[in-house]
Amino acid sequence: MSQNPSANGPIQSLFLGPAEAPVDYRGGKLVHNLILFGRVCRALGMGVTPNRMMEVARALAHIQLGRKQDFYFALRAHLVTRRRDIAYFDEAFDLFWRRPADGFTTLNLQSLGEERRKRQTQFLPPLDATPSENGADADSIDSSMIALVPTYSQQERLRNKDFADMSADELELAKRAIAKMPDSLGMRRTRRFENGQGRQINLRRLVKDMIRKQGDVARLPTHRHKEKPRPVVLLCDISGSMERYTRVLLHFMHTLAGSLYQVESFVYSTDITRITRQIRQKNVDDALADIGATVLQWGGGTMTGECMHRFNWRWSRRVLGRGAVVLLITDGWDRGDIPLLHKEMARLKLACRRLIWLNPLLDVPEYEPLTRGAQALLPYVHDFLPITNLANLDAIVAALQNLDARPSAEPYRRAYL
Amino acid sequence: MHNSVDDLQQALSQHDYIAERGLSVAIYLALKTGKPLFLEGDAGVGKTEIAKVLAAMLDAQLIRLQCYEGLDINTAVYEWNYAGQILHLRLIEREGLSRQDMESELFSPRFLLKRPLLQAIEQSHNGAAPVLLIDELDRSDEEFEAFLLELLSDFQITIPELGTLKAAQPPVVIVTSNRTREIHDALKRRCLYFWIDYPQFQKELEIVERKAPDVAPMLARQITAFIQDMRSLELFKRPGIAETLDWTAALIALDQSELSLEAVQDTLGVILKYQDDVEMLDATTIQNMIERARVEAQRAS
Repeated sequence: MSQNPSANGPIQSLFLGPAEAPVDYRGGKLVHNLILFGRVCRALGMGVTPNRMMEVARALAHIQLGRKQDFYFALRAHLVTRRRDIAYFDEAFDLFWRRPADGFTTLNLQSLGEERRKRQTQFLPPLDATPSENGADADSIDSSMIALVPTYSQQERLRNKDFADMSADELELAKRAIAKMPDSLGMRRTRRFENGQGRQINLRRLVKDMIRKQGDVARLPTHRHKEKPRPVVLLCDISGSMERYTRVLLHFMHTLAGSLYQVESFVYSTDITRITRQIRQKNVDDALADIGATVLQWGGGTMTGECMHRFNWRWSRRVLGRGAVVLLITDGWDRGDIPLLHKEMARLKLACRRLIWLNPLLDVPEYEPLTRGAQALLPYVHDFLPITNLANLDAIVAALQNLDARPSAEPYRRAYL
Repeated sequence: MHNSVDDLQQALSQHDYIAERGLSVAIYLALKTGKPLFLEGDAGVGKTEIAKVLAAMLDAQLIRLQCYEGLDINTAVYEWNYAGQILHLRLIEREGLSRQDMESELFSPRFLLKRPLLQAIEQSHNGAAPVLLIDELDRSDEEFEAFLLELLSDFQITIPELGTLKAAQPPVVIVTSNRTREIHDALKRRCLYFWIDYPQFQKELEIVERKAPDVAPMLARQITAFIQDMRSLELFKRPGIAETLDWTAALIALDQSELSLEAVQDTLGVILKYQDDVEMLDATTIQNMIERARVEAQRAS
């Protein structure tokens, strides 16, 4: 269902008796069903509160309940606050508010609740559970509901990377690295003011001072532009050639995401996936397990150009505002479309404040950035820095803290292009 | 006042705004329940226009607050006229007023500069509640969002020197966002949310014919079909309804009665604003799209 509910039947006849009957939803089953539906929406990740449901009930007094379309839009306007929830809402709406074979609802919410208690992340039975034959049976759960729940499928789980075994040494290194991370990768001036020594006269303060001193003041109070840390975007290559670094790099990303201001994280190989939400979890193991379950393209070939294209089209306008700094973590091996990569890198460079390439190979003594991919990346990056493990972050930290310095990629460009 | 969604939809249409059913329901509920309406959608789908049409329809004043990063209370709510205050202070300082008298003299409504949000609250005391448009909220920063959260829940503003002002009746609030960043859920939850999509062929054709009455019927259909087709391409910025209307005006100005390769190439800058997008449409692609638009237009008539 996109815009219109698939069936335009009057729902009164389902829950409240014939359509001609006067609508008194207070006494009918509607409120009951509304609350159940609210719970379904809540289980699907929409921020539905009891208070919100009260508002829905009140709003319904204003519309003609007989028109299912209006009913649908009234519920949607209240319960959905993000575009991506619309599809979930639509499916839930279709399933919930259809004509039931028997009884008022085909979903037994109580049993859903049971399932939820048993398993933390799901409120529905595992995929291998078979729904009972009779779909209208009060104890059964509609098998078609499973498709709309944002949860892990079995197949994806098979592809999970095992991040669990991180050695004690590694954990120790990670901790030390966290302590060393800067608070920000450079600051930018905002239009807001804060008190302090500056060049602008603080007129509000001046008037107050003049009143207090009954006339003349000895010194003009000033204020200055407030500074804010720049947003950071992490783009990490997780293709086959990067496999041996991937785990440690994800730890690095987790550290950055936890300590810097406004970090957006992405991983890519044949496709690009946003992992901002997953990586933000406090516990690194939880975060990595979650990422393992979300990302499907572990260890594939690298299609940097195609991935950057997708990033530029879908995400750049949302995450690269406000003078963002981009950290691109890759070894520069690429099997994709090279002219496209040139084009997309040029666009990426224009859209951000500073584009920094972190290369795990750069520390290897004989390494030269001569691969096709590296040759396509080098012209567009401002900085070119090594990254091998969490222990040698010092150099990176130093470079990141001084972003207004000359681009460090310049010598490499002269030597290798 | 409108007594049903149908009424409202008709009234909107009388003001040349063709709204889809879902949007009409959202607007209707916003008017009835007094909740702000939060509209998201790509640029040029008519988010801002709704506020203008609503103001005209309700015969209310439209107060617009264009958001930008760093928008603060001084530009959004109120500011004191400091230059005036200092001058006045010079005049009265010899009178030997007490500090308190001086303060109440200087921080009086006389020196208060009212910015849009304060205007909206004040207007509501003069009879009709105004329509308050908070445009492109995604461009403001979190600090302003947090302030707005407070304002939208009880429509009152506190000025330390003057006291608290409360709206007599809450203004009709329209908040728009282009989704260049995600607005915090807390704010969205206080509003009714609607995602405005690009219109379907029939709807867009209706809009074109309504907004440009002197367009030849065949040209209108071809334009609409062409733009609809164009939106299916992978463009960096897909053309909105605003672009459709601009393009229609451009083609009328150039005396075109049908789409031709030349006319499209000459006016491509009206629809596409990124060089990458323009480059994507070479002569053969455009020619094919024109052919398809002709067929589609023929079928629609």
